[in-house]
Amino acid sequence: MNLLAKNSPKERDNALLVAVAAGDRRALEELYLSYHRRLARFLSRFTPRYENIEEIINDTFMVVWQSAKDFRNASQVSTWIIGIAYRTALKSFRRQKNHNVAVSLEDYPEQTVDPTSDAEVNDWLTHGLRRLPVEQRLTLELAYHMGHSLEEIAVITDCPVGTVKARMFHAREKLRQYLPSLGGGPSDLPARIG
Amino acid sequence: MTNHRRFENSAEHHEVSALIPWYVNDTLEDHQRERVDSHASACALCRDDLRVHTRIFEGIGAQPALHYMPVASLKRLQARLDAVQAQGDSAQMAPLEPVRSESPWRGWIAASIAAMAVAIGLLAADRWVQFEARGEQANYHTVTSAAPRPRDEVIRAVFAPTITLVQLQSLLDEAQLKIVSGPTEAGVYSLASNSTLTVRSSLALLRQHATVRFAEATAPEPDSGNAP
Repeated sequence: MNLLAKNSPKERDNALLVAVAAGDRRALEELYLSYHRRLARFLSRFTPRYENIEEIINDTFMVVWQSAKDFRNASQVSTWIIGIAYRTALKSFRRQKNHNVAVSLEDYPEQTVDPTSDAEVNDWLTHGLRRLPVEQRLTLELAYHMGHSLEEIAVITDCPVGTVKARMFHAREKLRQYLPSLGGGPSDLPARIG
Repeated sequence: MTNHRRFENSAEHHEVSALIPWYVNDTLEDHQRERVDSHASACALCRDDLRVHTRIFEGIGAQPALHYMPVASLKRLQARLDAVQAQGDSAQMAPLEPVRSESPWRGWIAASIAAMAVAIGLLAADRWVQFEARGEQANYHTVTSAAPRPRDEVIRAVFAPTITLVQLQSLLDEAQLKIVSGPTEAGVYSLASNSTLTVRSSLALLRQHATVRFAEATAPEPDSGNAP
């Protein structure tokens, strides 16, 4: 089944999911290939290990295969799939106590790079994000990399809008501490960021 | 400074501040966007926050894309799906739960089924009695049931699993035996005599070889009384 000719990604996703619900393995494969990259990027914020990322993606699509018939269009297909991946990742996180997601400042050496240099920003940002608790880090990733709205993130993470706001608030506060130069005085930033 | 603190502590400031990440990723409704614009024009803290988060937003978006191999992962998913499907197929073979019906004929149907079951039971019992009386053997056997022995079998033997076909044939030639049946599930061969050599001699020849794990005569020879 080739549904790539559908008008929009949303329509294509809907058509593919309907086919998956009817037991069409090719539709599942098409959906898998179209989401793999996005999910891999999202999950790399959760774990850098590819085998873990692959396992979470495949667990996600096992759920998609088994639950497609229960999808009621209450959200977009993409939101539904990313929500499954989010919950699968959290379950995996709780199972693996020896994951390499750091939540302690002591796990990282003191920054020696200049965060105001564009060349260092990415690396520095990666370090800053790693120090956040997983829910806060994934909330930032959902908003800033995947471009989801507040309401979509609430659906994906299966929690109230207020909880998403609170997670984002705490993530911002911590990033402000970790990335002090980015959070510098008003006079310091406009020239670099503007 | 007073103006700055007034904004920082206001409910409006906190509400607008909470919207900044979604202002930055451009997913706010128009009226929310206008609210942020209006507030930020008078609030230095929010303007600062907007700049910081625009930078973070751009930084996260600019991080290098990962290049994985989705096809290899997909193959592993397909294998899992195949396994689940195979399990599902075998589950369908299991007896289904009886369907409950509210029909007034249900009692009669149940009674008819019971009567049929009794009749089938009686028929089966009758057949079993006849079967037993004829002394027939069932046309199946289990692993533990004794398989019928070939008529000319004189020795039963088990060989080492590592024995080659050439070694086995050489062994049988030496003991002047031939395979008439086997191997069974337990690896037992039935051997018949291929010459005038006595069973005891063949047995002795077999037992000399380390590749023979087990060898026993299945029927006493006429001269077995002289055996040590």
